[in-house]
Amino acid sequence: MGKCKKILIGSAAAAAGFVGVTFTVYFFNLDMKLTAAMEPLMLKWYDHLEKDTFI
Amino acid sequence: MTKKIGADNLGRFYTEGKVRNRREWRGFKDTAYDYTRWLGIMFTLGKFIVKPRNIKGMFRYRWMSNYLAVPMMVDRHTQGLRDEYLRMCHVEQDLIIQDVAKLLDNLFRGDKRLGNDEEFSKKVVLVDENEMTAVMMGFPTLKCLSRETPSTYVPVLLNQHSMEYYIDKIEEFGMAPDVCPMPAAEAGVSVDGDAPIVGACAIQCNTTCDGSLLSNGIIGKRLEAEGIPTFQLAAPLRHREEDVQEYAAQEIRNAIAFIEEHTGEKWDWKTYFECARRVNYATKCRQEWLDMNRTDYPQVFGSNLALYTETNYMAICGKIEAFEKADRKLTKLAEQAFEAKRMAVPEYRHRAIVWGVQSHFYFDFLLWLLNCWGIVPLTDMLSMVSTKMIAEEDTPQNREQAYYDMAWLTENMIMRNRTHGGYKVLLDELWEFVDQFNADMVILWEHTSCKALDGMHGLFEDRAREKGVHLVWVCHDLFDPRVVSRQGVRDQINSYMRTVFNEEPLDPTLEVLPDGNSW
Repeated sequence: MGKCKKILIGSAAAAAGFVGVTFTVYFFNLDMKLTAAMEPLMLKWYDHLEKDTFI
Repeated sequence: MTKKIGADNLGRFYTEGKVRNRREWRGFKDTAYDYTRWLGIMFTLGKFIVKPRNIKGMFRYRWMSNYLAVPMMVDRHTQGLRDEYLRMCHVEQDLIIQDVAKLLDNLFRGDKRLGNDEEFSKKVVLVDENEMTAVMMGFPTLKCLSRETPSTYVPVLLNQHSMEYYIDKIEEFGMAPDVCPMPAAEAGVSVDGDAPIVGACAIQCNTTCDGSLLSNGIIGKRLEAEGIPTFQLAAPLRHREEDVQEYAAQEIRNAIAFIEEHTGEKWDWKTYFECARRVNYATKCRQEWLDMNRTDYPQVFGSNLALYTETNYMAICGKIEAFEKADRKLTKLAEQAFEAKRMAVPEYRHRAIVWGVQSHFYFDFLLWLLNCWGIVPLTDMLSMVSTKMIAEEDTPQNREQAYYDMAWLTENMIMRNRTHGGYKVLLDELWEFVDQFNADMVILWEHTSCKALDGMHGLFEDRAREKGVHLVWVCHDLFDPRVVSRQGVRDQINSYMRTVFNEEPLDPTLEVLPDGNSW
């Protein structure tokens, strides 16, 4: 019973932590702020790719 | 608990950068709903990117960088929405995201540069983005994939600047800059070596217009060089005339025979008629939504109607059951909202028909019209597609009729059904819809590179004067915001609303926005 209770409390805490962190990311738009910072680096990468360009 | 509609000044979420400063607080219930849908989108994207070949694809194809903006596309289309409107938008957008993720996964699986699954590639038939996929309705064991949809069409919905590189690339090769940016961008992706190499064969189509013919030639040459044979499905221009239908049906028979020859698969009538039933169900639902929009309480309108219709009618064309379920859900939500006499903004000041070809780099403009000026975009030209019910019972006569039905769908593909076929479908029917929907204004997109519509400019103005209907021209260049920016698009409405109607906006913070750099 004690172990069960510990698991339940642990799961509830993990769930609360998950929701807390993800909701913060969601509400303050941190996911898009991160990917917006990634974009220029990716564009630089593509600029250096060798491709088969022909018509 | 829902936050009151119109309580927020939506303009204050904008920044000078690519993304918004934060997401909306819509009240506990709607924010919690939107948050759970965001988690779902993250899960879909996560499932896609964990596969090594998809990570490789992310770093190989420049257009893949635009998929970094997927959650923001949804945010743009849900701006200010509550209750059923928010849910309708998510039903559609979340499904479209899942469908596009599957499309990308399949393309990369067969792509010679990435997954290189040759056995899988033998069962792939490539289709144009601007093509009704009706000829694939009877091939359940084949994968109908479009390279242009995820490489040009979707990216420009995600990021307004996404296609500038490819438009510039094809112009380096000598294409004139006044060509429609859509086929130009598609050709640019192809010549830049940025189109996946996959498929047993390809069906190219002359829809929407001569612009497609132009890019088909360039893309087809490359496909042949890569060992992928192409078939040119030539749909008649005069699609309302009886005397072209036999030719159109024969083109469908020829296309099906070509697919059978190059894939080794046979046409399956049972599957075809199942898809036909779903096409009819989608048509029935769309008619119900449009009927509601003719009343004082429209429910499925703006980009909720436009983007979903484009996807479901053309790309899906009855082939995927999940879209039938979505149609059912959307109808239920719409009926619920209609019964409750729900409104999406505190005040509907104007009822508008949106006509012409919309700017794809600013698809959420339809929502901006509503939020900023209280203009309800009741329907748009690209949503006024075929209302004909096709044969759905498997009989010998219906099997013959099916070729004519598939031909009809192909001829009446989105945009093509209005920009070609005579002035009746483009000009006359607009005013019939104005009357039917009790609209007091027409927002007429003038795509500066579209010769089909530009030529009718004067005729539209004459008719608007005759009928006493406000006609607001909104110029743009489809995929290229460097010609007319999003603010340039808004300013055309702002000027009209202030100088002609003498009105103040519902939300003044949306009138001028610093979104030149935004996704």
